[in-house]
Amino acid sequence: MLEIKNLHVEVGGKEILKGIDLQIGAGEVHAIMGPNGSGKSTLSYVLSGREGYEVTQGSITYKGQDALAMSVDERAAAGIFLAFQYPIEIPGVTTMTFLKTALNAQRKARGEEELDAVKFLKLVREKAKPLNVSDEMLKRPLNVGFSGGEKKRAEILQMSILEPWLAILDETDSGLDIDALKVVSEGVNALRSPERSMLVITHYQRLLDYIVPDKVHVLSRGRIVKTGGKDLALELEKSGYAEYGADEAA
Amino acid sequence: MTDATAQSFIDTFERERASLPGADGWLAARREAAVRELADAGLPHRRLEDWKYTDLRDVLEKAAFTPAPVHQGAVFLSEEDTRNGAALFHAIDRYKIVFVNGRLNRALSDMEDLPEGVVLKPFADVLGEAWTKALIERRFEINWQAQSVSALNMALMADGVALHVEEGVTLDKPVHLIFLAADDGASHMRTLVRLEKQAQATVFETHASAGAAHYFVDLVTEVSLGVGATLNHIKLQDEAEDAVHLATMRAALADEAKLDSFTMIAGGGVSRGQTFVEFEGRAAEAHVNGAYALRGKQHADQFCVVDHAVPECNSHTHFKGVLDDESQGIFQGKVVVRPDAQQTDGRQMTNALLLSRDASINAKPELEIYADDVQCAHGSTIGELDKDALFYLRSRGIDEMTARQLLISAFLDEALDYAPHEEARAELKALVAGWFEAGNLSAEDIL
Ligand SMILES: Nc1ncnc2c1ncn2[C@@H]1O[C@H](COP(=O)(O)OP(=O)(O)OP(=O)(O)O)[C@@H](O)[C@H]1O
Ligand SMILES: [Mg+2]
Repeated sequence: MLEIKNLHVEVGGKEILKGIDLQIGAGEVHAIMGPNGSGKSTLSYVLSGREGYEVTQGSITYKGQDALAMSVDERAAAGIFLAFQYPIEIPGVTTMTFLKTALNAQRKARGEEELDAVKFLKLVREKAKPLNVSDEMLKRPLNVGFSGGEKKRAEILQMSILEPWLAILDETDSGLDIDALKVVSEGVNALRSPERSMLVITHYQRLLDYIVPDKVHVLSRGRIVKTGGKDLALELEKSGYAEYGADEAA
Repeated sequence: MTDATAQSFIDTFERERASLPGADGWLAARREAAVRELADAGLPHRRLEDWKYTDLRDVLEKAAFTPAPVHQGAVFLSEEDTRNGAALFHAIDRYKIVFVNGRLNRALSDMEDLPEGVVLKPFADVLGEAWTKALIERRFEINWQAQSVSALNMALMADGVALHVEEGVTLDKPVHLIFLAADDGASHMRTLVRLEKQAQATVFETHASAGAAHYFVDLVTEVSLGVGATLNHIKLQDEAEDAVHLATMRAALADEAKLDSFTMIAGGGVSRGQTFVEFEGRAAEAHVNGAYALRGKQHADQFCVVDHAVPECNSHTHFKGVLDDESQGIFQGKVVVRPDAQQTDGRQMTNALLLSRDASINAKPELEIYADDVQCAHGSTIGELDKDALFYLRSRGIDEMTARQLLISAFLDEALDYAPHEEARAELKALVAGWFEAGNLSAEDIL
């Protein structure tokens, strides 16, 4: 599904990722943990193609294709989805309009028929309900005035509707109360399938009790310094990142 | 000092004076006076503060317009000529008055079956009435440099419409004034609107080309609202690329009267829209809002003055625009609150979105306050499309063009929401949404 090789990335002339190697097979869930500023969000942005993140070395291969040669929207249409750590507010565009435009843009890019208003509404209702996203929220401008938790639930709603093949969740658990964490995790787990892969970025082992990963990686100062099974998260919870050089980190 | 262009307008006046409306009545002397004023001052130029960004003298001199001919025969909106704007509002049930090259075209108009208490006629037909004379001769308290162009219109106005609504009467349908340019040249028109006590009306205006490329539209609209009267007004300017559009609206409001005016500027080479509002009675309310979407080398200048001379009136002005390519936008506005105008609520805002490095905007909203118990605010913002928002939309699979369009529409929609008629508002939104698409609607026989 995803193969990252020796990835070096500069932001604003400063090297942030210093040689990342990561392989995620179809159906696998990988977690990335690591201290603040270690480059987790940077990795997620590079995967989705954000401007200003310059790849100086290495490659990203997604489903056998060179992802770096694809534009942001091409990657999305090909099934890469990023749930943002800080979802962006879009004044003047209702959540509903946005969801419809996004879904139909992706369908069109893949040569599929666009959904009409009735079918679309039905789909949104069906996906919104388990995530406790109200009709009222759907009518509001996207993310504007949403609480932290509401924003995260809206991200997962987008993911459920767009049904990506590679979902990158950047601290989707931060800012969620205990109930919301459960609801969101269930939303994510509902999407788990042998064809779908996930990269879950988090600071808290608790999320991984709900979304159980196949592998856990520790990212520190732009490098993956350790990889293990789900138990690694438990260890980190106890010991922190000191042994991985977090103290010296930027 | 008379400039050559002013002189050419004066020459036109000399040639046509005998055939202009009101040539043998009281208006003749007013026209003479206007010609003298024009001869003395010439056309406004950039050394006048109010005309700093739009040198009308220079624009008109370069364009060298001759008078537009009286259009003969049918009017066709060919596929190429028809701009989106000419196709708007036709699905709305309305009274329709069509001007071609500045002259009323009866064959295309539909001004029959007006309700009792409503007069809708060419202004030449009602020059004998006291209300038209009062409106034409009206002087405003403050004489702005910007108003100097009304002399040009006074001298040469050749046609136009007068709408009068009697006390307590509500006009059942909007009046739609359609100004089409079928041939090149200059046309000078006047609109007169008088709503008596508690009367209500909605007026749409469309300005577009029907074959002409190089023309000058000069329109003055005089509005007088009686006690508690309401006028809703929507103007759509979608002129041709090389057209010059000069429009001045002057409105006076009696107690508790309400003016709700919205202007959309889509097409036109050089345009200058001026609005002057004078409160004559307490607790009146004026909304002067607008939106513009400019590209190419378009130049659009909005000038808006609201004069609060009496207490307890509210005014709200908000213009939002997007500018692409090398287009230029200007917003000059002023809210004047005079010493007696306590409890005024006056607001003036402008926001612009620059889509290109070469586009520019000059925004100058001003407050001039001489009363102490007032609530006033003004402000302006200039920005670019939010890169993070663009990335967010694109990361969901929305291509760059669509993402940009979505954000631009969202930006303008906030202004379009002010348009005081639901169906018209929806049509304007559709026009804006299609702003990116190069091809226009097919025209056929939409009139
Ligand atoms: N535009 C930028 N210019 C310069 N440095 C940047 C820029 N954006 C991010 N960085 C730096 O890159 C480093 C990695 O940031 P990143 O957001 O990827 O960290 P993170 O691991 O996601 O941290 P957190 O756990 O706090 O979310 C940080 O030191 C940050 O300051
Ligand atoms: Mg981060």
